[in-house]
Amino acid sequence: MNISKVIVIGAGTMGSGIAQWFTQQNCKVELVDNSQAQMEKALKDIHSSWDKLAEKGKLSNVDELKKNIKISPMDQLSKDADLVVEAIIENLEIKKELFKKLDAYFESHTILSSNTSSFPIALMAEAVSDKRKPQFLGLHFFNPATIMKLVEVIKGKDSSEKICRDLYSWFDSKDKKPALCKDSPGFIVNRVARNFYGEPLRIVNEEDETKIKEVDNILKEVGGFKMGPFELMDLIGIDVNYSVTCSVWEAYDKEPRFAPHKLQKQMVDEKRFGRKAKRGFYKYD
Amino acid sequence: MTNVSFDNFLINFGFGSKAEKQEILKANPEKHVIMDLTCYDPQEFYDEYPQLKGTFAALFCDENKKIELHCLKHEPEVIAKFKELGYSPIETTIVSCGFVFPRTIVQIINEAHFALEDDVASKEDINRAMKFGVNYPKGPFEWSEGKELYVKTLLNELLQKTGDKRYVPSKLIK
Repeated sequence: MNISKVIVIGAGTMGSGIAQWFTQQNCKVELVDNSQAQMEKALKDIHSSWDKLAEKGKLSNVDELKKNIKISPMDQLSKDADLVVEAIIENLEIKKELFKKLDAYFESHTILSSNTSSFPIALMAEAVSDKRKPQFLGLHFFNPATIMKLVEVIKGKDSSEKICRDLYSWFDSKDKKPALCKDSPGFIVNRVARNFYGEPLRIVNEEDETKIKEVDNILKEVGGFKMGPFELMDLIGIDVNYSVTCSVWEAYDKEPRFAPHKLQKQMVDEKRFGRKAKRGFYKYD
Repeated sequence: MTNVSFDNFLINFGFGSKAEKQEILKANPEKHVIMDLTCYDPQEFYDEYPQLKGTFAALFCDENKKIELHCLKHEPEVIAKFKELGYSPIETTIVSCGFVFPRTIVQIINEAHFALEDDVASKEDINRAMKFGVNYPKGPFEWSEGKELYVKTLLNELLQKTGDKRYVPSKLIK
């Protein structure tokens, strides 16, 4: 498989990280966003990141990389791109509307993909033509995309097995660690990781700062995790984590394994969202 | 299971059945017993056996040899003995069925097995996803390798203790 021209749609944190990573793989990348200011900021940040790496002697081809990425208005994108990665707001209707336009715009060989973490690939694929459906799949990157190695390659109902496997091999040949998975709620990580939060919440069961610290400490010291579950929930945002938990729970028909804990709701109701609110399981004054 | 005796203490290692654990306690009424109860509820044992002075969880202990240790009172000789045996005990005040790390990890292992049951991905890809997507030190199937019987024992114990169906083991855990 040859991936040499990539379009990334959405210049937020994920989109710009994904664009930066593809550029670093010697792909020609076009980054697009509704907001001109957002695109310009993303490009400036990417350039700045490369400049810093070059200063530290970790990157030698900065000028070439800068030539290989550009920001572009939607109607001027290269129609012959090999791969499009959508990384816009998590809103199903907006995504479907976008994919309908992309399907009509790009050449027949272009693979369309979504970086969604919450919507079934099959639902988004409804927006594209039958001809495009085999070339429609999920590519779920992890933040920060330039550092985290995993890409979940998600095979939708009509995605081509060959394209998924070829993409898997392509990522594997770069500095990524791909995982091929079925189109099911939470894919792999957001499903399997739920209990890293859910079980410690049940162990402490109520707000007790001493116990919370102790659980974090044990899971780091004994378990070897880089962060404890409560520290991590504070960092991610307790509201964000609660929302993902509820979304997976609902998607699995309220299966008890995914049930949110009362403490999560209580903290969200009290707007104790974690670090960003300076109050979560810990205080950040 | 193996026992290590010193002074008036007896440290019981291993993951036998509940009945086997109870037999060891009954056979040592005069000793101060420190017992591996990874798969059970320490409180249930503390309530019944006054000779039980401490509990620990070594089921998922790896090359770092770190274990969760709960003692009813601080026991410097016990800690020194664990260190002499090559372990690094991390003292805890939390008394919970399955302790903290084993209880959390068996639930992650269980979900990975349910995902496999649902054909979401291969074992290798699930391990890889958890290690490289969220920086877990090991993949769920690497943690459970050779320990599935005990994973299932702890899940069933949690199920029985709490009545919560979240602990029903995947049929792939044998």
